Amino acid sequence: MLTIKMKTFAAIISLVILSGCSSSASVQLTNEFPQVLAKPKALSAAVVFEPSFATYVAKPNAKTVIDIGAAQVRLLRNAFAGLFSTLEFVASREEITADNAMVIIPSVREVQVSTPSDNYLNVFEVWIKYNLDLETAEGESIDSWFMPAYGKTPDAFMASKSAAIEEAAIIALRDAGAKLMLDFYRIPAVNNWAAEEQKRARQQQNSIQQAQNAEVSP
Amino acid sequence: MKSSTKLIPLLFSVALVGCSATTTIDEYRPTGEAIELDANERVVVLGRRDAGHYETDREFIGCIGDKMRSADIQVLPEQEFIDAIYPWFEPRTAPKGLPRLKRLMQDASVKTQVDKRNVRYLVWLDGSTETLDSGGSISCAIGPGGGGCFGFAQWDKVSVYEAIVWDLNELTEKGRLRVDSEGTSYLIGAVAPIPFLTPVKSDACSSMGNQLKNFFSVTQ
Repeated sequence: MLTIKMKTFAAIISLVILSGCSSSASVQLTNEFPQVLAKPKALSAAVVFEPSFATYVAKPNAKTVIDIGAAQVRLLRNAFAGLFSTLEFVASREEITADNAMVIIPSVREVQVSTPSDNYLNVFEVWIKYNLDLETAEGESIDSWFMPAYGKTPDAFMASKSAAIEEAAIIALRDAGAKLMLDFYRIPAVNNWAAEEQKRARQQQNSIQQAQNAEVSP
Repeated sequence: MKSSTKLIPLLFSVALVGCSATTTIDEYRPTGEAIELDANERVVVLGRRDAGHYETDREFIGCIGDKMRSADIQVLPEQEFIDAIYPWFEPRTAPKGLPRLKRLMQDASVKTQVDKRNVRYLVWLDGSTETLDSGGSISCAIGPGGGGCFGFAQWDKVSVYEAIVWDLNELTEKGRLRVDSEGTSYLIGAVAPIPFLTPVKSDACSSMGNQLKNFFSVTQ
């Protein structure tokens, strides 16, 4: 009886050890992201989160699966709120209702993962390579912006590979938000579009004011 | 009999010497006086994470924070501060020098968040703990009749951390600290594995935490 119990115990211990040493990782990002601390420009945008983007599941290699779809939508919603005063989030281009808005269509080009056994460093790394297709409301292309994001987390004794990759992926997403806030209006084509839009809005406001003045004056 | 009574204390003393870390602290302060901290003012300890091959680990930052709290210094959790000012203290965007900090603090929304949390001083921590050399070998086996480990292994660890204290009101640097700690750990396999671990990182934390406590003087 004791022998059977010992065998069962040994089998459980072996299973626990083997699962701990498992080199595969399946991660789903469920965390929230903080609101960005930035004053948005008086411009409007429509962000198209296509279903393929909103439900994106990355498979950087045969042993790793990272479900980043919902998390990247949450992150970009926050980040764009710090760039544009008027925002519309839609699932397809046909649903856009805003006039004169910049149409932004994000997509994921590639996700890469590197583990301590790959890089011989004590860090897990995640790269997310985004592409933002930027268009006018009329459908003219403004630019196609390549936006890489990077996150890393230190290897910890006895910590699971999944937890380390999850942490690195969250840091990479936060980095994407930081990159967006830092560089979006530095893209020459976006800067030109923003200047044109602000000029057009000023002219429109002036003409409205002139019309009002004309109505008031005898 | 006599020789065995001498051997045991000798083995213990060898083991204890082997388990102690050697720690050196370098300190720079413009003045010898402690930094005055009001009872409602807080300090935030942040880790540098922009280096390519290592990360200043959160465990070490938490340890330094705990050491400072033990001296009645109010320490704001790192993540709370970083989230409140997102995305301006991410690895990509965090100010590396005072000129960038000054520009950042000119932003009214950033200044408001810092003031709202009563953060007066920011301590940047940068460094890591690494295993330098390892030697020996130990093998473990298990069979129907039992199991055990035999052999001997050793490894050297070194912790190098630097702390820089910034004043967020005056936007100046208040001092720097550097701690170097190193030691060797052993694992002896005599049926059961017997570890003699040198707490290198823990020593580095204690030394740096205690020294940082002396930087500040809390006025009630």
